[in-house]
Amino acid sequence: ATERTPRNERQMRRKALPPRTEKMAVDQDWASVYPVAAPFKPSAVPLPVRMGYPVKKGVPLAKEGNLELLKIPNFLHLTPVAIKRHCEALKDFCTEWPAALDSDEKCEKHFPIEIDTADYISSGPSVRNPKARVVTLRVKLSSLNLDDHAKKKLIKLVGERYCKATDELTLRTDRCPLRRQNYDYAVYLLTVLFHESWKTEDWEKSKTRADMDEHVWENSSSEKNLLRTLGRIWATEEGTEASPGHLLGTEEAAQYRECVMHLKNQGEDDAALARYKDAVKRLLHVA
Amino acid sequence: VKWAQFSHLHIDFPKEVTKPAITVSDEPDTLYKRLSILVKAHDKAVLDSYEFFAVLAAKELGISIKVHEPPRKIERLTLLKSVHIFKKHRVQYEMRTLYRCLELERLTGCTANVYLEYIQRNLPEGVAMEVTKTQLQPLPEHIREPIWEKEVKDKEESKA
Repeated sequence: ATERTPRNERQMRRKALPPRTEKMAVDQDWASVYPVAAPFKPSAVPLPVRMGYPVKKGVPLAKEGNLELLKIPNFLHLTPVAIKRHCEALKDFCTEWPAALDSDEKCEKHFPIEIDTADYISSGPSVRNPKARVVTLRVKLSSLNLDDHAKKKLIKLVGERYCKATDELTLRTDRCPLRRQNYDYAVYLLTVLFHESWKTEDWEKSKTRADMDEHVWENSSSEKNLLRTLGRIWATEEGTEASPGHLLGTEEAAQYRECVMHLKNQGEDDAALARYKDAVKRLLHVA
Repeated sequence: VKWAQFSHLHIDFPKEVTKPAITVSDEPDTLYKRLSILVKAHDKAVLDSYEFFAVLAAKELGISIKVHEPPRKIERLTLLKSVHIFKKHRVQYEMRTLYRCLELERLTGCTANVYLEYIQRNLPEGVAMEVTKTQLQPLPEHIREPIWEKEVKDKEESKA
């Protein structure tokens, strides 16, 4: 035959039934119609949805046979009722956050180390993402058991990875192929840095005044000048030799020492210079 | 018909669905200070719906959540319209990536795994996600004290 559908097939074809939407009650359980993510079925969704760009003086196309409605991901299986039901079932598997760790400071005090890891999910030919193996370990140096020399040595060893503003050491490990290996390497690095900074090498003892990071008061030219000046004043007034401990022990000398240290270490400032002037005046009993 | 596959996996359902059992173990639970989820998509409506779903799920499970929208990025490229010559006639394509960032604070490992698995199983097609976890850990025991003093003591003890 030359027809599109042969006559006997046309006779045997069943009549299309009315869509399911006509039998749906208003208060039905929607979660049983769409229990999982499923494509949009116009005969199963009772909403009069229209989608598509309309022709001139027209309306968007109806839902029957609408490809745009099929293409876009639908959230018909995630109505608020369904979400609440899922969460009720999932609550048994969750644990509570310990109530004692309610502030950031307490978390910092008991758990000083923070480890950052990342997971990536996307659709593509492969599930793997090479960025997922990076592990970043952050720790505040104030929570480690370090003395003055150890802290300075650690900062020198670590270089750019230490942030002075937040007092935080950041170690970003990337060299191993697995995340667990990178984490172990980061912990190993921290251990090695800690123990190396406590060691004092032989060549560290030959550190001169020019190598020091901060101005040191003991045996400095400021201290010697002070002692010489005060010693001469004392000698002319009392006529006897004064001991250095006695001269430095006075309150004015301590204040002068603090002002000089501040000027040398933190830089010059109007307020700092005014304080220095004040201290010098008090020291020489001129104020 | 010998070449047809006779597997009825898509029709048969297991008679007894075994629900996963709740196991309780003694090892301490991991603690996450912050969980940052960045969701990327091409469509704002899809992101809005997904955000509603994620926020409601977090509220039901008792997790504090904050949402913000980083600005979108558009990648444009210009190609020649014709296969051969016609340099003056080009066609331009663009790829729009829209973002949504969900930040969860203070979760335990179990809760984080449950929430993330629920979120990720319901991730719509064409949407990508990046999860950044910040885990809290105590100081390991070998970083409490430097070992040099112990080594000196051990050497002295072994000599004596």
